[in-house]
Amino acid sequence: MITRRSAATLLAGTALGAAFGLPGIAEAADKEIIIGINLPITGADAAGAKRMMNGALLGIQQANDANEIPGYKLKGLVLNDATATAGQYDPAQAATNARKFVSNPKVLAAIGPEMSGAAKAMAPILSEGDLTIITPSATNPDLTNPQFAAQYMPGGKPVFFRTVTTDAFQGPNMANFYAETLGVKDVYILDDSGAYGVGLADSFEAQCKAKGVKVLGRDRLDPTASDYTAVMTKIKSLSASSLYYGGVAGAGVKVVKESYAVVPNIKKGAGDGMYSPDVTTGAGFPAAEGWYVTNASPHMTEDPKVAAWISAYQSAFNQSPDDYAITSYDGVLVILAALKKVIAEGKAPTRDNVRAAVASSTVDTLQGTVSFDANGDIKQRVVSVFQIVHNPAYPLDDTIHQFKYIGVAPQS
Amino acid sequence: MSPFDLLLQQIINGLSLGSMYALLALGFTIVYGIMELINFSHFNVFMIGSFVAMGVLSLFGLQGQSILMHGAPLVVALIVALVVTMVACGLLGVLIERVALRPLRGVQGPMAMITTIGVSYVLSNATMLALGANTKNFPNPIPPMTFHIGTAQITAFQIVIWVLSALLMGGLYMFVQRSKLGKAMRATAQDPDAALMMGVEVNRVIMTAFFLGSALAGAAGFIFGLYYNFTNFGIGFTAGLRAFTAAVLGGIGNIPGAMLGGILIGLIEAMAGQYVGAKWADVIIFSLLVLVLIARPAGLLGRLAPTKS
Repeated sequence: MITRRSAATLLAGTALGAAFGLPGIAEAADKEIIIGINLPITGADAAGAKRMMNGALLGIQQANDANEIPGYKLKGLVLNDATATAGQYDPAQAATNARKFVSNPKVLAAIGPEMSGAAKAMAPILSEGDLTIITPSATNPDLTNPQFAAQYMPGGKPVFFRTVTTDAFQGPNMANFYAETLGVKDVYILDDSGAYGVGLADSFEAQCKAKGVKVLGRDRLDPTASDYTAVMTKIKSLSASSLYYGGVAGAGVKVVKESYAVVPNIKKGAGDGMYSPDVTTGAGFPAAEGWYVTNASPHMTEDPKVAAWISAYQSAFNQSPDDYAITSYDGVLVILAALKKVIAEGKAPTRDNVRAAVASSTVDTLQGTVSFDANGDIKQRVVSVFQIVHNPAYPLDDTIHQFKYIGVAPQS
Repeated sequence: MSPFDLLLQQIINGLSLGSMYALLALGFTIVYGIMELINFSHFNVFMIGSFVAMGVLSLFGLQGQSILMHGAPLVVALIVALVVTMVACGLLGVLIERVALRPLRGVQGPMAMITTIGVSYVLSNATMLALGANTKNFPNPIPPMTFHIGTAQITAFQIVIWVLSALLMGGLYMFVQRSKLGKAMRATAQDPDAALMMGVEVNRVIMTAFFLGSALAGAAGFIFGLYYNFTNFGIGFTAGLRAFTAAVLGGIGNIPGAMLGGILIGLIEAMAGQYVGAKWADVIIFSLLVLVLIARPAGLLGRLAPTKS
């Protein structure tokens, strides 16, 4: 029975679906290839996710404009894996979106997700569906580790590729930076209990021990709690000279604020989860001043070679890209190269053929040549270090200007 | 820091946190005392309070952490923000009662409670959609001033929190004990039917309970913002759940019980962070809750339903 209320729900649902670009009912023209894009474009991580989304959409649009794959029209299908209840990415929603991609025969490859927690939910479904996905930012090493193949690669062949390196390098290289460049002798390590944060903090901790940096303690924060003062007081009582936080900005903003209140003068650092405007706006200055954060990619936005691309991005979206907008764009370039190769070899553009072509590809992208190892990880392993330095000439949420590039973290 | 200073420091941390939980717990307790309803929308009235306070402070030109105020302007700004926030949240509480709960009055079962959960989500999602999900920087115009006891430190602001919480809680207690409306509230809590027969306006009493509870949640939201210097749409759930636990621990429906429960939970959270590990804080808090409820089902200071049932 359709009551007034259920009719209203139905209508609202349809309107929402239309607003978020869910697959419509209208049939598009023949020979359409869809590239799925799954990112948390609402919620706490929306700012970074939208940059990645725009990077991918720009790649697709440019390919269509230049008619790079004659006879085919490319389309981006954006699905949002953030839910209102979670307020950020939601692994259950990510899994649902993965099923939507797999069940749509026109989707031949996908870009995303932003978060490792979402990737862990999506990987098995995509693997069963033989659907290639390239993440611009999910860095958890388990996803491509053959040891966990039963979990994340039940289909048997790698479908999960990355245009960033993993936390197997991001954490340890930052530990090298702590030991060699900053010269710290001891560290207290925190994580935010998330898949990404725990893994990153683990790999950082292991390399600290290898480098002789004394690990004074390790604690796990509840990302929904508000008060970390007790832990900060403990860090102060241990006279720690540095702090490392593995996690995303959700808990990170509070770590920045409360560590500034209790232990303002020690060295502090984090991974790419903290390369976010949330840190400079939510925690603000002076609290955020001096934090070191890494990105699991080379630093590109200040590279003169990509200046033309950056102005194209700016004029298309009226905002500045960050490095992960570029890794997202690079992901699209890899998919395009694979499609071209498959079609040039006279094979049908199927998921299986695209996957094989991506796995064996060597593609010139904005970050340089991208090629993958046998597990799907990118072969370059550059981790860039930034320091938050307040630049009053630019708005607080302008990550490009509030995060100052320091250099490449020492590789092990 | 010496072990003693460290303990002292964590007690200071815990008391500040506990005062906030206590203010929030009072809202659960007042409404439960009168209606036997657990009002989960209270979680996010607290969250809205922090946003209202942020809005009021921004009217004073306060934004970010760099603008400090001194003397009379500071006191005026804080008092105006506090009063506006409390009144706005109080009215929001009354509105929730009127729109979402009054139509369900008299309906048996958990309908009203489930409705409050729905209202809670409406509030948090509406805030997220209207103001964005990212964390907002809450201005703090209070100059940093610290007092030292050994190596432990108290900030002036922590003292303000304690005094303010004590005043609000004391005021509420006096209101309920001494005023005519307070007497009507206690009468309704004991026996709504008899109170109605004695000429107590039950609707008015219930609205007062919602107003007072929500106003205290607003005050807690304001204090939260000033203390942590941030807010976002999601702060309500964890703080609200802890405060709810505090109310149950102290004896839900019992005003001094809510205060005691709040302070205890704040202290436990701080001590767990220092001596056990922050990740165990929830395990300890909720295990303690289970133990207390086994030993004293009505909570530490509660009595089992005085005249009802």
